[in-house]
Amino acid sequence: MKFNIEDLPILFPYPRIYPEQYAYMCDLKRTLDAGGHCVLEMPSGTGKTVSLLSLIVAYQQYYPEHRKLIYCSRTMSEIEKALAELKALMKYRADQLGYEEDFRGLGLTSRKNLCLHPSVKREKSGSIVDARCRSLTAGFVKEKKERGEDVDLCIYHDNLDLLEPHNLVPPGVFTLDGLLKYGEKHKQCPYFSARRMMPFCNVIIYSYHYLLDPKIAERVSKELSKDCIVVFDEAHNIDNVCIESLSIDLTEDSLRKATRGANNLERKITEMRSSDAEKLQNEYAKLVEGLRDADEAREEDTFMANPALPDDLLQEAVPGNIRRAEHFVAFLKRFVEYLKTRMKVLHVISETPPSFLQHLKDLTFIEKKPLRFCAERLTSLVRTLELTNIEDYQPLQEVATFATLAATYDKGFLLILEPYESDTATVPNPILHFTCLDAAIAIKPVFDRFSSVIITSGTISPLEMYPKMLGFTTVVQESYSMTLARRSFLPMIVTRGSDQSAISSGFQIRNDPGVVRNYGSLLLEFSKITPDGIVVFFPSYLYMELIISTWQGMGTLDEIWKYKLILVETPDAQETSLALETYRTACCNGRGAILLCVARGKVSEGIDFDHHYGRTVLCMGVPFQYTESRILKARLEFLRETYRIRENDFLSFDAMRHAAQCLGRVLRGKDDYGIMVLADRRFQKKRSQLPKWINQALLESDTSLSTDMAVASAKKFLRTMAQPFSERDQAGVSTWDIKDLERHKEQKEEEKIRELRNGIDGGQMDVDEHTNGANGADEYGADDDIDAAMMDMDA
Amino acid sequence: MSKPPARNGAPQRRPGEEDDICPVCKSSRYLNPNMRFLVNPECYHKMCESCVDRIFSQGPAPCPVAGCARTLRKQRFRRQTFEDLQIEREVDIRRRVAAIFNRRESEFQTLRDYNNYLEEVETLTFNLLYNIDVATTEEKLASYARQNAADIANNKIISAQESASTEAQIAAQKEQARLHREAARNEEDEERREKEEGRQEFINKIAASNEDPDKIAKVVLKKSTARRTAADKLRQQEAAKVDNASAPLFQIQGLKPVVRPEPQKAYDPFGDYSIKTQYYTLQTQYEHPWLENAKTDPKITAGGFDVGEYCARAMMEAFGGLGVFVEDEVARREEAAGADVGTTAAAMAAGDGKEVGGDVL
Repeated sequence: MKFNIEDLPILFPYPRIYPEQYAYMCDLKRTLDAGGHCVLEMPSGTGKTVSLLSLIVAYQQYYPEHRKLIYCSRTMSEIEKALAELKALMKYRADQLGYEEDFRGLGLTSRKNLCLHPSVKREKSGSIVDARCRSLTAGFVKEKKERGEDVDLCIYHDNLDLLEPHNLVPPGVFTLDGLLKYGEKHKQCPYFSARRMMPFCNVIIYSYHYLLDPKIAERVSKELSKDCIVVFDEAHNIDNVCIESLSIDLTEDSLRKATRGANNLERKITEMRSSDAEKLQNEYAKLVEGLRDADEAREEDTFMANPALPDDLLQEAVPGNIRRAEHFVAFLKRFVEYLKTRMKVLHVISETPPSFLQHLKDLTFIEKKPLRFCAERLTSLVRTLELTNIEDYQPLQEVATFATLAATYDKGFLLILEPYESDTATVPNPILHFTCLDAAIAIKPVFDRFSSVIITSGTISPLEMYPKMLGFTTVVQESYSMTLARRSFLPMIVTRGSDQSAISSGFQIRNDPGVVRNYGSLLLEFSKITPDGIVVFFPSYLYMELIISTWQGMGTLDEIWKYKLILVETPDAQETSLALETYRTACCNGRGAILLCVARGKVSEGIDFDHHYGRTVLCMGVPFQYTESRILKARLEFLRETYRIRENDFLSFDAMRHAAQCLGRVLRGKDDYGIMVLADRRFQKKRSQLPKWINQALLESDTSLSTDMAVASAKKFLRTMAQPFSERDQAGVSTWDIKDLERHKEQKEEEKIRELRNGIDGGQMDVDEHTNGANGADEYGADDDIDAAMMDMDA
Repeated sequence: MSKPPARNGAPQRRPGEEDDICPVCKSSRYLNPNMRFLVNPECYHKMCESCVDRIFSQGPAPCPVAGCARTLRKQRFRRQTFEDLQIEREVDIRRRVAAIFNRRESEFQTLRDYNNYLEEVETLTFNLLYNIDVATTEEKLASYARQNAADIANNKIISAQESASTEAQIAAQKEQARLHREAARNEEDEERREKEEGRQEFINKIAASNEDPDKIAKVVLKKSTARRTAADKLRQQEAAKVDNASAPLFQIQGLKPVVRPEPQKAYDPFGDYSIKTQYYTLQTQYEHPWLENAKTDPKITAGGFDVGEYCARAMMEAFGGLGVFVEDEVARREEAAGADVGTTAAAMAAGDGKEVGGDVL
């Protein structure tokens, strides 16, 4: 399908387009033209990725700037999906245009997924693959080989040097799988091909971390130019990703290993002093001059990079007292020893970086400035020593990163020392959390550097929360509703059980047998009427275990067993994947199954339950975070102080985005249908925080149901869904062909003209309407349940 | 936030500590659960408290560890801070070195000098640590301390002030955070109370009147919303105020060239005006026949007439007007006056114009 948005011709690889896709593209184009950031929410399963890609590719090819697209997604499978979409799109374009465009699209993932080396790829852990790969591909290994020493090299990596450096793979789109196959065929390393081709690609698809984690970002993404278009897909959790990428946890064990690493370094330095003192001298001379390594530009083999240092600091020379290798190792040892001493304290400590630094200086005479250079100095040393077994130094690197971060940021970080794992533990197992409180710190370089950043997801409500938390301003901020020819999903809020008593996972009543029984009977009733699969989400593993064991005692499980198979998600990934597989089989062969899982677990984030895999989703209780966690408390405090986001607002927002994410799991397209049940009294007041498309479909009469009413209405819904539904019914309403699109455009045009003609009077009326609407919304969300949110804890 | 220090009554022990044995008396923690180890910074040999009491109560005694014959005193024994005694010793040495070498970054002209200084200090410390050239190093330390006694004392005061101010700042921040927290909590309580009141009011109204409950609900809700928005506004204003107030007192750090006062110049009464001649140089001797006898004739010289003086005056008079162009000077003067007047006049005109404009309107 081919159409124009303003002057931009777009080739859309399907014969029909959804109205919301069209609106989404228009807004995207507006953002790109204006050169700003935007937040867009589009219902899950309405072809977000394809509309995004087809618009941006058209934009790239049409305008002379050829702005590069960086598309970031969350998981491997999503990256692969996006690549496949892109490939199909490019094929369609070539068919339509009659020629192949000069276009490259590549995906990047970890070495573990892209390795071809026969022995390395058999390793299970990602970090070991990384380390072994480095030991085979690092620059100095090659030098050694050339000098005639007997060292192992990776043939796949070496073959790359025989090719033209800007044409390692032919133009076109390669999926990860396709890249692997190509690499196998031409005996070249897919990982390094992709990495080195990055500057020549039109579209790059990779995971968030390559852009957000400063340790990786500097190496992988630093050559990208300013006018790149950056897209974060599935970005509803982006603040947590940002925070995780800058947070470090140290344990006693990792400190022990760090000491061992420092001792190893010391030994290596002595060895080198006696054998090859010149190298150390060279490094020293460079550091005196304050030069960063010139050959760092092509540093695929570097050990680590600097975490988010300001640029002026990077230009500065390393302080004199850590310039010599011996001095630096002694410095590191002293720092680690200090941390060990801190770990011995048996009460909880939480302090800001400045006070930590003050204490450090009083005790060990370590100043702030050398501490700041710690990470960089370590990188330089490791490179000079030509170490191959880098994984041994991982803990030491962590300590160095910690040192650098603590000395760089005064605000937005907190040190929390927890000597005991839980409140009831008696054996100390101290953990030093260095937590980032401010999500804006990690993402700030991205917003500063790229002119257009697009944040999008199926469930990213309320939209205004994200700019607030991440510290940016938007050009466009939009949430789309879902156009449907029939009512294909049924959201309901169940507030009471069949005995009319309120149900809630609130702390006060969650263990009440009445509530547990009501939840049980709700599940039982739905298992009776729902065909195929049911997915149930609980707020936490603890609560799930408790409720299941109570159900077992009540005999509820035996009843349910008659209708459906029961499977449970566990924290163990392998067990869960086995459960999932069984669940799928049971859904396919008609036995039907129930999957009990947790709202913040793996299942809720990455796994789709399309069609018969999920006909009903039950959200039992509001999935609040565990509010007694010190880290969360600190973050809430910080949010309130800095961004004026109130604690309850944030908790409620966070709970609702997870709930929405769970609900979105069952509906993966317009021909899909499903029932969404929110089973908690408190959902009634949080309704306005649901994504627009869910909220719109939620009828006023369905907002406070009891179990039996919900069952009745679900039965009715399923009966309508059972009626035959042909594609023709959708045409023109929820799917447009080219004619519908033209008609829509004309209508828009007319509306615009009419608006212009109506002039001032119309504008006045518009404003009035708006204010009324705003008031209405205000009243809605006004009486939020505060105490309930605060009291909700998981322990 | 903090945990109670003791959980089961007994003092907390780390897992590895159970099998500690005093290297001197060989008593273990099993026999003496309250055993504490002490070290002396003289030789850093670890021993238990009772050993210290036993051996050193009588006065200074040699260290009981075999091969170490240093004389130790009881009062210098202390608990160790770091697990690694090597580090403990290092920190002690550093404390000593840092007390002497306490120059600050701002004293150096370039960063490079500062870095070189830092490295020098580090090397000295290392020498002391690994017993390399201890004698020379000690000598260096001592001589530096002697030479720069005043600077050292000065820097000590500065750093003490600095750390005090940082502490004060941290304390101030804490206090502020506490206040904010309290305010937030109060606000929450207030809100909850208000909501409760609203509900009560609603119930009372329904009970009292026969109006439509929906209408009453709306009225009550509107009232509370209005109150809340007012409170919100107030809070925001306050927050803005606090933000302005809490802007941190910034500190200026970094390299700064030391400006030494220039040596004082000799006093110059003419203010740079030189009486040296510009167009000619005065000779000591001029050949003028009619002056020949004036030099020697006592009738003339007795009166104080000096030929040199006469020549100088004659030359000055001859060149006196050179370099002075009266017309130019006059023209310039007139010009300058014209510009001034013009500006003033323009200013006045502008002022007039305004007045005129005022009249017109």
